[in-house]
Amino acid sequence: MVAEVKPRSLVIVQLSGGNDALNTVIPYGDGLYYDWRKEVRIEQDRVLKINNHLGFNPALRSIKNLWDNEKVAVINGVGYPEPNRSHFRSIDIWNTGESVGIGESGWLGRALREIDPNGENPIAGVNFGKGLPRALSCKGVPVASVSDLENYGLFPDIQGERSRDLALSAFSQIYGSAMAHDNVAQFIGQTGIDALKGADILRTAPAQYSSAVEYANNPIAQSMKSIAQVLTADIGTRVFYTQHGSFDTHAAELDTHTKLWTETSDAIGDFMEDMKEHNLEDDVLVLVWSEFGRRIKDNSAGTDHGSGGTAFVIGGTVNGGLYGDYPSLKETDQLEGDLHFNNDFRSIYSTIAERWLGVDPSIVSNGYFEQHEFISPLAYN
Amino acid sequence: MPENQIELIAHLARRAGFGATREELEEYAGIGYEATVDKLLDTSSPKWMSEYLIRRYHPDESSMLAGLSGLEAWLYRMITTDTPLLEKMTLFWHGIFATGYPKVLNAKPLSDQIRMFKKYAMGDFRNLLVEMAKDPAMIIWLDNQQNHKDSINENFGRELLELFSMGVGNYTEDDVKECARAFTGWTIGNCEYMELRSARDSDWPYGRISWHYEFDANDHDNGEKEFLGRKGTFNGEDIVEIICEQEATARFIARHIYHFFVADEPPVPQWPYQAPRDPEAIDQIVQAYFDNKYDIRSVMKFVFNSDFFKSEDCWYEKVKSPAELVTGVMRLTESVDRPQYEHSSRQLRMQYMGQTLSNPPSVEGWDGGTTWIDTGALVERMNFASEELGRVETPGSNELFNKIAFEGSGDIDADRIVDICLKHLGTINVKDDTRSKLVNYVSKNGVIKVEDQGIDEIGKEKIAGVVKLIASTPEFQRA
Amino acid sequence: MATQGLEQGQSLRYVRTVGMTTMRGRGFYYPIDSAMSNSGRLYVLSRSFERAVSDSMRVTMLNEDGEYYGVFGSAGIGDGQFRWPCGIAINDQNRVFVTDEYLNRVSVFNESGEFLKHWGSGGEIDGMLNGPSGIVFDQDNNVLIADSRNHRIQKFTSDGEFLQSFGEYGNGDGCLNLPWGLGVDQQGEIFVADWGNDRIQRFTPNGEFVAKYGSPGRQEGELIKPAGVIVNQEGYIYVADWGNERVQVFGPDGEFVQKIRGQATNSEWAEDFLGVNVEEAGARERANLEPDIDYFNDDPHEESSHIEKLFWGPVSLMLDSESRLFITETNRHRIQVYERDN
Repeated sequence: MVAEVKPRSLVIVQLSGGNDALNTVIPYGDGLYYDWRKEVRIEQDRVLKINNHLGFNPALRSIKNLWDNEKVAVINGVGYPEPNRSHFRSIDIWNTGESVGIGESGWLGRALREIDPNGENPIAGVNFGKGLPRALSCKGVPVASVSDLENYGLFPDIQGERSRDLALSAFSQIYGSAMAHDNVAQFIGQTGIDALKGADILRTAPAQYSSAVEYANNPIAQSMKSIAQVLTADIGTRVFYTQHGSFDTHAAELDTHTKLWTETSDAIGDFMEDMKEHNLEDDVLVLVWSEFGRRIKDNSAGTDHGSGGTAFVIGGTVNGGLYGDYPSLKETDQLEGDLHFNNDFRSIYSTIAERWLGVDPSIVSNGYFEQHEFISPLAYN
Repeated sequence: MPENQIELIAHLARRAGFGATREELEEYAGIGYEATVDKLLDTSSPKWMSEYLIRRYHPDESSMLAGLSGLEAWLYRMITTDTPLLEKMTLFWHGIFATGYPKVLNAKPLSDQIRMFKKYAMGDFRNLLVEMAKDPAMIIWLDNQQNHKDSINENFGRELLELFSMGVGNYTEDDVKECARAFTGWTIGNCEYMELRSARDSDWPYGRISWHYEFDANDHDNGEKEFLGRKGTFNGEDIVEIICEQEATARFIARHIYHFFVADEPPVPQWPYQAPRDPEAIDQIVQAYFDNKYDIRSVMKFVFNSDFFKSEDCWYEKVKSPAELVTGVMRLTESVDRPQYEHSSRQLRMQYMGQTLSNPPSVEGWDGGTTWIDTGALVERMNFASEELGRVETPGSNELFNKIAFEGSGDIDADRIVDICLKHLGTINVKDDTRSKLVNYVSKNGVIKVEDQGIDEIGKEKIAGVVKLIASTPEFQRA
Repeated sequence: MATQGLEQGQSLRYVRTVGMTTMRGRGFYYPIDSAMSNSGRLYVLSRSFERAVSDSMRVTMLNEDGEYYGVFGSAGIGDGQFRWPCGIAINDQNRVFVTDEYLNRVSVFNESGEFLKHWGSGGEIDGMLNGPSGIVFDQDNNVLIADSRNHRIQKFTSDGEFLQSFGEYGNGDGCLNLPWGLGVDQQGEIFVADWGNDRIQRFTPNGEFVAKYGSPGRQEGELIKPAGVIVNQEGYIYVADWGNERVQVFGPDGEFVQKIRGQATNSEWAEDFLGVNVEEAGARERANLEPDIDYFNDDPHEESSHIEKLFWGPVSLMLDSESRLFITETNRHRIQVYERDN
């Protein structure tokens, strides 16, 4: 007897704007931190201690709880060679896995293509938010982008169920008959029918969902709730994407950073609680990343664009702990005034691809990268 | 007015512009097809929403801290221009000389580049190529600031030949090197500082600074070059002159024109392996290019008046790009008469449909055709078009209600409603079975009544429903 | 020679630059108007833009030495929030008034930025607003608002009670076209930046037409889309000649006196930034920030986009108690301060 293997899902949380890694996992045991950070810093007594050197920002209380249960892998000093400090470019590098040229497809898009080569499931990948992140884009891979799950689909602005049903039924007839025409009409017709099908499935998710967890009323919490709704509906979605921000804290950093992290951390904490309630804790993995870290030295109101970030991998089966050395704050070890990267972000992708999704890591991460141990290798029979 | 004449002009309006309202089409038909072509080709005094108005209400659309703001300004121009062909030609060249934000990382030079395309879009192709080579955004995009006398960087030289003029297979690797040598020293001013600001995404302390072209004579290779069989101490201008004389250049540009204005071709990388859809048409465009000494306006005049363009075989044989779709829809609503808070979201919707101007997926621009259509993009296209066109309060909708009210009081035939709506939305020719399903929908949705005082709110919502459905048909996706 | 002596005393000399661009917190993001309290505290209103983060749309409080006192306001439609914030003014009780030309309302805050109330609603009839932009208090502590899309000026009490309105759409004397900035002189006469008509118009306190200054063009004394106007104690008229990217000084009778194009230097906050980001400071040092090049269509807007020290989007003018002129520049996110050359 082989136990039925539940499909594993991956949830991406992008902290857009460049999260200040130094004020997220804080080297409070290093006097240099307080030397460099004259204003924009967290005092020792407020840090949530990991060990006698590092600790979480107090806004990450929920993540600290998960950490205490060994469900959080903290990857220090994440980056890539010749760091780029432009948001747009660096996000693109993270999304495509291509740090030199301009990448043509996203790493998650490639992962989805490996999982579902014929694009049979129109909702294998779903973004919660507006537009489609480049990470999900890949030719021939259908993905959906949902800003409001309950009203997702065609004609969301038509009031009244009857009117909308009537329009949708006419739509489906028109697109069905388009298949009888030329090639282009056939293609558009098929795509329209697929879109309708995907929307119908997705929209049913909230009705099937119930949970004791109450998510907060902010965008990241609501996105995590939508993800939980789709995940628990078990409709075949494997990759979920959402983002929160803006972490671009050139000024007013302490207030902004605290607010954003409280929202993000609590949303993830609630989500994991929700997964536990639905017995899915071991089937979901959350990756939290940001395009870059920020300068070591503050500018007295905030911090400017830097390099060397921190990433979290969270889940029931994660081997919790610290991965990679925390970058040194010594002046001689810095990279142009920034944290030096120790871990290529594509090592994370590679680990997730092979050990979590069970697909070819070199295709997903765009090359060969050493893998982390935050997930144990898949057991092959 | 014979309806087929109007339908032909509607085809012209979709290709040489962004479609047109029924009123505009009737006006064009009144002066005749050829006169309409001439009118569209006259780009001497284009008018659009005042730049001052845009600057006043949307400061970021002129100063551009953000990457997308220049596109919002461009979208205003496309929606409000009285000279749509000029914007269409600008889109055309942007698609070929596709330059993207991820490497330039300063929206102002990208926006300046679009204005440059517009200025040279319909003149002598040589001038356009020279200005393109001097364009600061292009220089950074293709690394020409690193193309030095004693260590050439071939990137620009190669793409000039491969993507911007001749196409692969028509020159040697030596030609690429010699071409690159001729463009050494073509760089931007304050290169070190400007590159660093971009690399750091820095708009500090006082916002973005525009870029300017600079010729560094000390870094220019004045030596003799051998290019496409010719010898001389060529500089960039000389290279462009030689390129423009090539048959391969004429063919490559001809196929681009056909692909963009006449009917979808496969994506550019497949061109060396796949014959053109209409080889004879390509030959004719090539001839027009040489006959008119590289004058693009004359070439376009030839194309629009040609039999192959007018032929019904190529009507609707293009999938609208998101830029064309969004612009066309907003023009039909006739609601953009002043700067609007909501404008910013329209540009975003275009992005969600899969096209961010000044951010092509690669140096080869957008593939076009059916690659515009996937499930996510199609949902966005249909929802955007049906939401905007289905708003009952726009001037466009009001005109439609007046037309239906003009039918006289009483219940209006479902057939007639569909007819009027299709004409109203730019004279769309839908397939018979699409049409019958639309009529069926109108019948099921309940009668639309014209009372003495016009159409009531319920009636208007019902008409808006038909419009929404038409805006989401497969036919509406095509131009 | 007396006249010349007077003009000498009236000519402006650059002093310093205040502020810097930042998306939130300490700094400005497309500042569109500024005001000063009795105590010399500056309130700078950041217009930001539609897609930007909510807290980029704000009022920044500071003094001219760069001392920072915090921000208030954000993007949205709730109390104390803005969509298209446009004008800011402070009354004699240090209440801060902000117009919003999208929400058609005026929000009122106390001097530390706590929201008190808002008033106004959209419409065409007297007392209703369509695009309220420029705002200024007159000597009676009543508030004048450029009701721009209604092409008129309206007067209200501080509590928003309608008192009077004048002007209508057109280009004749006393007619207006999208008016923007407003100024009031010592006698209570009202000066209007008649933006769409490329001129300044002067009205009596009761709204009767007195005079008009400027005509469309780029020459001395000509104006393109003026955005702001203010009058000093001697009756000299300062105009934010927005479309020409300059400030012009006119005499009490409208005669041309001086034009300035801007000469910004590093503010305190700019120095902070360059102090931390030393690579940029170095490259900046080595660059020629005043290149000699041709500009697209010879438009000063383009020149300003290339040469950072020049005014770019000079939109609003303010005088302090020492008659120094503060010029807020939207596109360069800073304020240049000029003093009189005595």
